Amino acid sequence: MEKQAGAAGAADCAGPNRKPWGSVTCGPVVAGDSLDSPTGSHVEWCKQLIAATISSQISGSVPPDIMNRDNKNLPGLRYGAQVRAFPNQVPLLPGETVQTTVKDVMYICPFSGLVSGTLTITDYKLYFSSVDRETPFILDVNLGAISRLETISVPTQGENTKGLELVCKDMRSPRFAYKTEESHPDVVDALAKHTFPLSHNLPLFAFLYKEQFPVDGWKVYDPVAEYRRQGLPNESWAISKMNSTYELCDTYPSILVIPTNIADEDIKRVALFRAKHRIPVLSWIHPESQATIVRCSQPLVGPSDRRCKEDERFLQIIMDANAQSHKLTIFDARQGSVAVTNKAKDGGYESESFYPNVEMNFLDIPNIHVMRESLRKMKDVVYPTIDEAHWHSAIDQTHWLEYIRLLLAGAAKVADKLESGKTSVVVHCSDGWDRTAQLTSLAMLMLDSYYRTLRGFQVLVEKEWISFGHKFAARVGHGDENHANSERSPLFIQFIDCVWQMTRQFPAAFEFNELFLITVLDHLYSCLFGTFLYNSEEERAAEEVQTKSVSLWSYINSQPEDFTNPFYVDYEHHVLYPLVSSRHLELWTSYYARWNPRMRPQVPVHQTLKELLFLRAELQRRVEELQKETSSHSLSSSSHSPSPTHTTGTPLHSAV
Amino acid sequence: VFSFKSVFKTKIYNFELPPLMHLNAPSDNREVRHQKEEDVHQRIVVNEVNFVRKCISAESSQEDLWGKLICTNFKVSFILQDAPPKQKSHLSHLLLGEHDIPLTCLEQVVTVNDTRGKKKVLGSNQKLKFNPTELILYCKDLRILRFCFDEAGPESAKKVCLAIAHYSHPADLHLLFGFEYQGRRYHESKGTYGTVNGSTPRGGLRTPIFDRPSDWDREIKRTSASGWRVCSVNESFDISKSLPEYIVVPVSLADQDLKRYSIFFTDQRLPLWCWNHPNGSALVRMASISDPVQQRKIEQRVFTAITKSHPQRSDVFKSDLDKCLPNIQDIQSSFVKVRHICVIGERRCRDNHCKYSTSWCSVIRAFLKHSAEIVYCLDGKNASVILQEEEDRDLNCVVSSLVQLMLDPQYRSLTGFQSLVQKEWVMAGHRFLDRCNHLKKNDKEESPLFMLFLDCVWQMMNQYPAAFEFTETYLTVLSDSMWIPLFSTFLFNSPKQRAQHLIDFAKNKAIPAGEDQAVYFPPVWDWSQQFSTKDQTLFNNPMYVGKGAACVQNGEVKTFTRTKRNYSSSVRATPSSLRNGLKGGEETLTRRGSLLSELKPDFSPVKVESPSERFFRDLFSQPADQRGLLIPLLMPSHVALWKLYFLRWVPEACIPKGGPITAFHKLSQLVDEIEILQSQLRQYKGPSPGSTPLPSPGGPPVNQRRMYFKASPQNDPPTPPDFLTSSFPFTPMGNLCRRSIHGTPISKFLNGARIWLSTETLANDTV
Repeated sequence: MEKQAGAAGAADCAGPNRKPWGSVTCGPVVAGDSLDSPTGSHVEWCKQLIAATISSQISGSVPPDIMNRDNKNLPGLRYGAQVRAFPNQVPLLPGETVQTTVKDVMYICPFSGLVSGTLTITDYKLYFSSVDRETPFILDVNLGAISRLETISVPTQGENTKGLELVCKDMRSPRFAYKTEESHPDVVDALAKHTFPLSHNLPLFAFLYKEQFPVDGWKVYDPVAEYRRQGLPNESWAISKMNSTYELCDTYPSILVIPTNIADEDIKRVALFRAKHRIPVLSWIHPESQATIVRCSQPLVGPSDRRCKEDERFLQIIMDANAQSHKLTIFDARQGSVAVTNKAKDGGYESESFYPNVEMNFLDIPNIHVMRESLRKMKDVVYPTIDEAHWHSAIDQTHWLEYIRLLLAGAAKVADKLESGKTSVVVHCSDGWDRTAQLTSLAMLMLDSYYRTLRGFQVLVEKEWISFGHKFAARVGHGDENHANSERSPLFIQFIDCVWQMTRQFPAAFEFNELFLITVLDHLYSCLFGTFLYNSEEERAAEEVQTKSVSLWSYINSQPEDFTNPFYVDYEHHVLYPLVSSRHLELWTSYYARWNPRMRPQVPVHQTLKELLFLRAELQRRVEELQKETSSHSLSSSSHSPSPTHTTGTPLHSAV
Repeated sequence: VFSFKSVFKTKIYNFELPPLMHLNAPSDNREVRHQKEEDVHQRIVVNEVNFVRKCISAESSQEDLWGKLICTNFKVSFILQDAPPKQKSHLSHLLLGEHDIPLTCLEQVVTVNDTRGKKKVLGSNQKLKFNPTELILYCKDLRILRFCFDEAGPESAKKVCLAIAHYSHPADLHLLFGFEYQGRRYHESKGTYGTVNGSTPRGGLRTPIFDRPSDWDREIKRTSASGWRVCSVNESFDISKSLPEYIVVPVSLADQDLKRYSIFFTDQRLPLWCWNHPNGSALVRMASISDPVQQRKIEQRVFTAITKSHPQRSDVFKSDLDKCLPNIQDIQSSFVKVRHICVIGERRCRDNHCKYSTSWCSVIRAFLKHSAEIVYCLDGKNASVILQEEEDRDLNCVVSSLVQLMLDPQYRSLTGFQSLVQKEWVMAGHRFLDRCNHLKKNDKEESPLFMLFLDCVWQMMNQYPAAFEFTETYLTVLSDSMWIPLFSTFLFNSPKQRAQHLIDFAKNKAIPAGEDQAVYFPPVWDWSQQFSTKDQTLFNNPMYVGKGAACVQNGEVKTFTRTKRNYSSSVRATPSSLRNGLKGGEETLTRRGSLLSELKPDFSPVKVESPSERFFRDLFSQPADQRGLLIPLLMPSHVALWKLYFLRWVPEACIPKGGPITAFHKLSQLVDEIEILQSQLRQYKGPSPGSTPLPSPGGPPVNQRRMYFKASPQNDPPTPPDFLTSSFPFTPMGNLCRRSIHGTPISKFLNGARIWLSTETLANDTV
């Protein structure tokens, strides 16, 4: 009954003027447009949740198991979605092909028991559908999200039944049981082949994906334009093409900002003194004080306390570029003791006795292995079942929030040094591509309101993370079966979590919403877009990622309404310091625990705002109509005073 | 040497009050304000000391404020030497200045002598053997104030400290300032306005007080409780001292039966009807029966009578709250702990943090969870419920009011909520005097039950932001009002005590017999006693979807009208949804072949659901109807810390330009704009168009607008005002700050805190 209502409501929405909330797209893109489908089910589901209050569409038709997103199957619900030839056909993305289909598979749902249905494996996703229940049940998992495939025992089932667990990177582990028959090959083989294409000499799906978006996301980030926005180059800082062939540093971008008065030869010597040749370069400059955020890797001091005159002078020049302060603060993200032990491994840190006027700060942030372990523990806490009695202590024991606190506190120190101390800062860890990226990008988010916009945030990620060589391929392990690789670590997830914490404390200061953050994280794994593939700009250029794959930002920016925070007001020129005490940090349950139906999010406030915006628009329309009527009735039309709300510039979120 | 014995007892009645005009004058006007302080100074000052330093930061004295510390018979005042330019960016109380603390709000008065390393907690009539160098006041509204006397005269400093301690420990209820104040207020208002108050019922108060049969009668009619009647056996409190004079009982019980039964109940408290579900089941609260011989018999009779009052003669379900919920001492100790972490700061040890904050949260969860189970009985099982507690005056108040809030949207309106508090707390005989410990006589009786209730309400509000007509600011202000001894609501232990005191009071103050108590000693619900009309708009929730609020449905703008009761749950009404939820699953299980049955023992983590689990699961699988049945989600992560209440006075926990208020701001402006449009629409639709002049585009007059934040003039970018912080509309400015923004822990002031909280963990915190 409820379902009918939902479907009927949806049908109404398909009228010419009313677009359903889920899929506001630019007008022309209708045919073959599948803006929803590339997102996979998850975005759909998020959108549904967010929309839940307005039209009650989520209503009774969504069974307790949230993974059952039956609405996907209702034709006409999604604007511009692909129409399937047959009702039971698996929805496909352009370029996606079905690899194998297995009938009579059991999905072992941890929340509502066993579900029997059909399992389809494509080169992009695993799709399980069941029509057994009154409401169709669908579960789909992007293959990119799968970390490893585990065979599990299915007791007392005889020879021909096997169990399979998909251990996922996104905090779930769906399990299936299926019968093996001679007629078709083992499902695990097909699954493994496409889940780990790189291990099977196959291309990542991003290179097969054939979607056309009206907006080209690869154009979002233009380094020169971004530096120009910051007021660069200026008399102290130059935009350098020294690294245009990635010879100076193969993990840095081709365009760098370095001090003007330093010779190329000296820079090359500095490069030799810094780990992985990652020399100090400018990330951000304060528009007023000219204090800068500079990033680099650790100096190769080694056990014998080597010195490098050029490096010392380089930092001196950086300090001198800022007339407001006669100090330079170096934030080393590591624990002091770790920095010391790194000396034995030919690394180290800047000695205050060799670098005059330099102040060293250690931020005590543990390394990538600690973070990986922490998130692994978190998964045990949130999936599949939640132990209510020990929830808080279990969360505490993961130390996840403790690390979030360290990161935010470190970034706030960096930002405060620039803003209040008017002092330039140098940030590094060991290699300068993990914790350094986290700290600089968070500090820039606090300092510069531009990065708090939807576009600006994309620029921030493109710049501080992607172009500066955060090793996404190694940290995420795209398409690679070696799940135990110790290079993997959830550094970027941590960063997004920190951003989320800030959006919680400043609900009106960010242009993007929670769905945006979750979408970014989902496509960190999905391998649908080229954005997060490979380890460095050099690799991406060699693989021609920009011409052969689609950018995540193309998808986002083609439907920005869905990812926009309706409360957003521009806190221009405001520096926002989040509070970092543990009572102000909370677990992001709508990301980490989203698969558990009992963790269903609360009624979102922003939906009420959208309703009210719609209400206002409607009232404005009526008032205007009446005003017109009145003025046409009245003899002297000149007495008509324009309505105070005549032309409201506020773009209404037509997604309502 | 200063001696109290002779002075105070006699002197307290002699102090004159400031004229009413000043007390009610809007404090926006700086001139008037200044004048008022002068008056306070001249007339009711008990003691004062000059050149006092109010400490703000623990690290430096740069931000400290200089001024005069004054103790009156009502409050502790701090008057700044150089009054800062008055900026109206927060809630301003009509009777209390920014630096004022009512004496009833003081929890502990601690004097310290830094040089001699001495400290003492001061009580009433005590001596102080050293000259205090500083005074620390711990307040019940979670403020901590620290004053230094390094430049002040030692003798007068000492006197002020002793006076504050003395006056904050009144010997008798009569000595509370409210009796002085309201008597004066009554006569002055009579003098000024004649008998205006008498002409409007209850002085214009819209909240029912439940001291008259008509209030109960209306409630019976509203809930269609046809099996119940108003009974006056307790008139003049003949039977029970703690029950109201009029109670609602099953029609099948005669007055004589009731009288007979009453002697078996604790404190002669007969079962008290609270509320009726539209399906006929009733919510009843009851004290326990001490005599085990009689217990079964009497209870059986009560059960039978309640069953007879149910249209379907459904069973009665009894819930013994003493057995399944934390007791009042547990509640008090977990509150002390959470207050400790919030106000004193974080400890080194994270485990403690976890234990402490979860202790309060788990109390909240326990009460909400139990209330939800009662809702299941009433709504899902269609059974009447008796809440039983030994005295029926503590836990029952919390649970019965929460159950009604979940089931009946009427109580989520402002007036409805106030009537609920009046019915289930004030009239049901919650011992406010003892539980608030206003006289500071018995610490063991102190327990923040009402605060617990307010926090539970906040949890529901936090999860369903559109369901309540009022805001968290309202709840916070209501909790603060407990510590202002001017309202009849929170001063007494029982209706009888209230009645007696007010009769005596009327005699003493020459108030004519027959005058309404609500007029001469008003309850807290007359908010104009405390706040300006403008400030009261902070109580209005812009998102409220209840009666009269416009809403959007299927793209159509509609005004919600309650045509029939909305609180009948849709779960029961639609069996199909059951099929979607659970039954479908069951069918699958049985229909599928052998694979399933054999898999099940190993792979089915889903245990067999109880009916109540099914009820809740079905409920949560649908979108919440914020106008209907409302059950909060109760996973541990769903219960949050009520930051506005717990952290508003803590400067280092205040987020400048942040907090939920920034979203509220935008909503408020938008709703204001909508209301202007609606009013314009009404103007157009009124008389025939053309015959009337064009309406002014301004909308309703400013003083009638419901929203605190007004729509910004057109084309103005809606930038949020700079003064918005996560503490808004309160301001932690001027309160003690314990660490710098970036987290240097400083605890030299914690000397006093250790006494206050006597928690061993503080030892670890000292750096």
